[in-house]
Amino acid sequence: MPVFVRKTLYSLSLLLGVTFISFMLMVYFGPDRSYAIAGKNPDPVQLQEIRQQLGYDQPLVSRYLVHLKDLATLNLGFSESNGKPVSSLLAETIPVSLLLLLPGFLIGNLLALILAMTAAWYRHRWPDRLLTDLSLIGVSISFLIIIILLSTWLCTPQGLNLFPSRGWRVDGLGAWFMYATVPSLSLIFVSVFFNLRFYRALLLEEMGQDYIRTARAFGADPYSIMFKEAFPNILIPVLTRLLFSLPAILVSGSLLLETYFGIPGIGKTSFDAIFNADQPVLNAVVSLSAILVIIITWLVDFLYPRLDPRINLRLETQ
Amino acid sequence: MSFGLKSLMTRDKVPVPPLGGLIFIGFVIILIILAAYPLPDWQLVSSEQFAGISQQHPLGTNALGQDIAARAEKASWHSLRIGLIVTLCSGFLGMFMGLIAGWNAGRWPDGIILWLTGTMEAIPFYLFVAAVAYAFRGLSGSMELAMIVTFWTTMARLIRAEVIRIKQRDFILSARTIGLSSFAILRAHILPNALPVLLVQFSVIFIAAIKAEVILSFLGLGNSSTISWGLMISESTQEVIAGHYLNFFSASVLLFILIYSVSLITDSLQTRTDPRQGVA
Repeated sequence: MPVFVRKTLYSLSLLLGVTFISFMLMVYFGPDRSYAIAGKNPDPVQLQEIRQQLGYDQPLVSRYLVHLKDLATLNLGFSESNGKPVSSLLAETIPVSLLLLLPGFLIGNLLALILAMTAAWYRHRWPDRLLTDLSLIGVSISFLIIIILLSTWLCTPQGLNLFPSRGWRVDGLGAWFMYATVPSLSLIFVSVFFNLRFYRALLLEEMGQDYIRTARAFGADPYSIMFKEAFPNILIPVLTRLLFSLPAILVSGSLLLETYFGIPGIGKTSFDAIFNADQPVLNAVVSLSAILVIIITWLVDFLYPRLDPRINLRLETQ
Repeated sequence: MSFGLKSLMTRDKVPVPPLGGLIFIGFVIILIILAAYPLPDWQLVSSEQFAGISQQHPLGTNALGQDIAARAEKASWHSLRIGLIVTLCSGFLGMFMGLIAGWNAGRWPDGIILWLTGTMEAIPFYLFVAAVAYAFRGLSGSMELAMIVTFWTTMARLIRAEVIRIKQRDFILSARTIGLSSFAILRAHILPNALPVLLVQFSVIFIAAIKAEVILSFLGLGNSSTISWGLMISESTQEVIAGHYLNFFSASVLLFILIYSVSLITDSLQTRTDPRQGVA
């Protein structure tokens, strides 16, 4: 079987897996919604009708198939707490989260890459040791602690009081800067050390290669060795990390940042859905983010042999 | 080259100071001192709100006049317990899955386990916890359960890779030739050789569990019947704005010490066992 077909089939099987899990957790074992819809003191006939409408009388497999069809057609239902269609709720909140998180995400990676290059160049000398020790301290500090420290320092009268402590407004570049800076700084702080450790390990492996030694022997300067020689060779793991951490950051990062800073993005929406037991919203967020991860995995498998033909060879011989 | 536990302890090519161990012992000593100190009950509400450091309250009191030292001690044990439970359950689950998958690489048990890891890894962790908490409302162990069923996948992948690497070696072939059973080979020959990966991964899970527990209980998804660092930090967000830092610092410093010491231990384990890091 060609690699492409095999990978596609595998991705499809993963899709069935995640949708089945989300179905079991949130629809099948989820709370019986018929009582909530019927209101107080429902009569049995009415209750029976509602249950029929919700499909509770159907067997598991056909309910799962309906669930799949709803997801595939983006028929996500209506939020139980405010009655809005879930799809429009997502369309409103996802751009907010992207605007909030993307700058910090990109800066956190870029900064880490530059620091990692410095560390790899000065391997085992003081800049490397300093960065290694610092990064271990950095990854040991909880995201929560960083958010609270930074916001207390920058957003309250206890500290510098430069930025608003809560909320979100994007009617211009200035407002965006005011509201996104502290969350972005928190995100940069928490991600830069994890990324630094990862990029440093990658670069150190490259620095041991013959082509780097040769380039150094020819007297190439650090910048051209790092950017022209080493960087293209670590591009694939770097790209993988960027792509795979994006959904995690978008969902998990926004959950904490947006609830703490009161920003109406996808994280805050999921948080509210969790506590209001808003099943349609929660179901959409869980299913769609998992589907996004699988699509990324599939794209990566499809894309990489084009970036590096050796990968296809390795897959064929596996 | 193969490393067993013994070579792991004695191999000292890279001079790693046992700083992590010392800090961890420091953490345990803090806990013992707190346990030995006559503190009020952690739930006891008193009229002394935001009391400073005193003999009666070595770390002061919170907004409800509760003793912070007593709460910090209780929360530390809670955190350690969750860390250990999740690490052991999830770690061993991952180990068995990895052993089964690696030993049967390319056959159906491997396919199923790989599919399971792929599926679990596709669902963002915090949302999965939320979904589990939603499905099993009221069940007190839902957070631990969610961590256990998500944290095993990396362990399984790494152990699988180790088994595949080791089983191609000659001594496994000889063990097979003399008629040892699969189980005996896995137990006596493969597992000891995979021990470094196993130990590193156990501590990685421990760190992940402690960190996740703090964030989940901060968000209100944890076990609300007891006190935890996440709940203390959650209480303290209001106090910090008013300039009362004792609650926040007690919880976050203890959390940092524990995570940092285990991270140091993990790192030195990794440097000692990864040949590439030592030599190249």
